[in-house]
Amino acid sequence: MARRKLAACSWQRVAGKYFKKVFLYVIRKGLPAARCQLHASHMIKLTNVSKIYPPNILGVRNVNLHIRPGEFVSIVGQSGMGKSTLAKLLFAEERPSSGKIEIGGWDISRIKDRDIPLLRRQIGVVFQDFKLLPRKTIAENIAFALQVSGERMKRIKEVVPQVLTIVNLGDKAKRYPFQLSGGEQQRVSIARSLIHRPKILVADEPTGNLDTKNTREIMELLKRINEFGTTVVLVTHNREVVNALKKRVVTVENGEIASDVEEGRYRL
Amino acid sequence: MISILRVIKFAFQNFWRNFWLSIITISMLILTLLTVNILLVLNVLSDQTTKFVENRVEVSVYFNKGVTDIQAANAADSLRDLNQVRDVEVITADEAIERFRDRHANQADVLKSLEEVGENPFGPTLVVRAKSVADFDLILQALDNPQFSKDIRERENFTDYKTLIDRVRTITSRVRLFGFSLAAIFLFITLLIVFNTVRMSIFIHREEIGVMKLVGASNWFIRAPFLLEIVLYGLIATVFVAAVTLPSVAVLDPYFSVYFDGPVGILSFFQADVWRIFALEFGILSLVSMTSTSLAMRQYLKV
Ligand SMILES: Nc1ncnc2c1ncn2[C@@H]1O[C@H](COP(=O)(O)OP(=O)(O)OP(=O)(O)O)[C@@H](O)[C@H]1O
Ligand SMILES: [Mg+2]
Repeated sequence: MARRKLAACSWQRVAGKYFKKVFLYVIRKGLPAARCQLHASHMIKLTNVSKIYPPNILGVRNVNLHIRPGEFVSIVGQSGMGKSTLAKLLFAEERPSSGKIEIGGWDISRIKDRDIPLLRRQIGVVFQDFKLLPRKTIAENIAFALQVSGERMKRIKEVVPQVLTIVNLGDKAKRYPFQLSGGEQQRVSIARSLIHRPKILVADEPTGNLDTKNTREIMELLKRINEFGTTVVLVTHNREVVNALKKRVVTVENGEIASDVEEGRYRL
Repeated sequence: MISILRVIKFAFQNFWRNFWLSIITISMLILTLLTVNILLVLNVLSDQTTKFVENRVEVSVYFNKGVTDIQAANAADSLRDLNQVRDVEVITADEAIERFRDRHANQADVLKSLEEVGENPFGPTLVVRAKSVADFDLILQALDNPQFSKDIRERENFTDYKTLIDRVRTITSRVRLFGFSLAAIFLFITLLIVFNTVRMSIFIHREEIGVMKLVGASNWFIRAPFLLEIVLYGLIATVFVAAVTLPSVAVLDPYFSVYFDGPVGILSFFQADVWRIFALEFGILSLVSMTSTSLAMRQYLKV
């Protein structure tokens, strides 16, 4: 009898141990807590970064770039010069062929696949095409982003109206993307990029599909986000946008940084 | 915890959204499992067939004319002492002639020639059955003992039975091999179909997956619904196959039992291990399809 009890106990112990292991694994993989918080100083630092796409296509070459926290930096340049490549390197969509990329003191040059989600939760990303899910309302679109990154229902209910208010779309939460103008859709996508309160926002031609009025709205929004302390990296080739901003401008030419001016203008 | 619930929710969503794809995949899984279970039934049946044939093997030993029934009974007793002997039937000379008459009842010429002989031309006969066919050689050696051998007129040739049994064994092992190959082929096709299903499912969900990656969903969270969906398919297929197999076996068992002239044991085979059989099938199926899913995800998901 005692022996059977003992056997049962050890069985439970083994199972318990195993369960704990699995549980911890799931927790680590499923809900990566802020394992790596970005430090505010040295927000973005690229040292001798090159990206060569296979087989031998130049993306960027020898880029040295230092972006301080809270800065608003525009990256300009003609088509195919490597602006998007530069942006993709920042949120680890691409890895550099050589050189070092640090984000908030975290060297992401050789970032592991499983750590990329951690990075993405601290960098908001916005694209020219808004990447909204057409069969979900805009509130659901934002809630989806929160759900898949493991947020609790309670927090989702809090955050969704918050970010929709920031982009001034609180009254259109129940609409579907096709029921919104391009500018409004882009605002939804910006709202979505804000759900994790990112310290960095990377926007690759966010106004590329928009008319002047909508472009101005989006730019106002980005400026406001920047004023609240988020570092903004804006990729664009819209002359008016850059000139109106009166912020730092980095010009990319043939994959290299051709000029880097504080309070610059678009010159080509 | 909340993630796990969401993974489950997403897995079910995938399932419904690709309804027809799901149905096709599940059908293939069902087909594979059915083949495996038919294979199991065949296995039991072929075992039974071999046993049936083996049990029926008997070697007759004919004594000379004039050997008394008592002598025959003595020989029978000494055979019964052998461990390997299942039973020995003694057919007396009178019974032997009766049987002969019965057997040739409508062959007048044969009966007539028997009349012409006048007296009973038969001696007693022993019908020997062994516990195992392999033991016959040994048993019959015992009859080489001069005490008996002088009285024995003829021994039925055992090698005929041997070739018969060998043939039965060859056939059953071929049936087994065929069933096994069929199951293996189906399993391979399952692998391909699951691979394709996952590939298409990834394609259908590419926008969601893109957003997930963008906003920092963990790789685990992106992958798990696909794996779970596949396990769900396996579970549905296993339950379905169990629900088809068990009643079919219950219906067929009596028919086979009549045919084999005794309990055939298919039903009891499944009943004894019902959980283990289907859990094992489910486990192997899940393993195979999860492997396939992982391969597809590695190829097309890139997370
Ligand atoms: N995944 C890829 N594989 C191979 N080559 C690529 C890839 N992505 C970009 N390139 C190449 O790298 C170079 C830079 O591309 P990039 O997208 O960075 O340009 P861009 O400055 O953003 O242009 P645009 O203003 O048109 O968006 C181009 O020659 C392009 O063809
Ligand atoms: Mg580009």
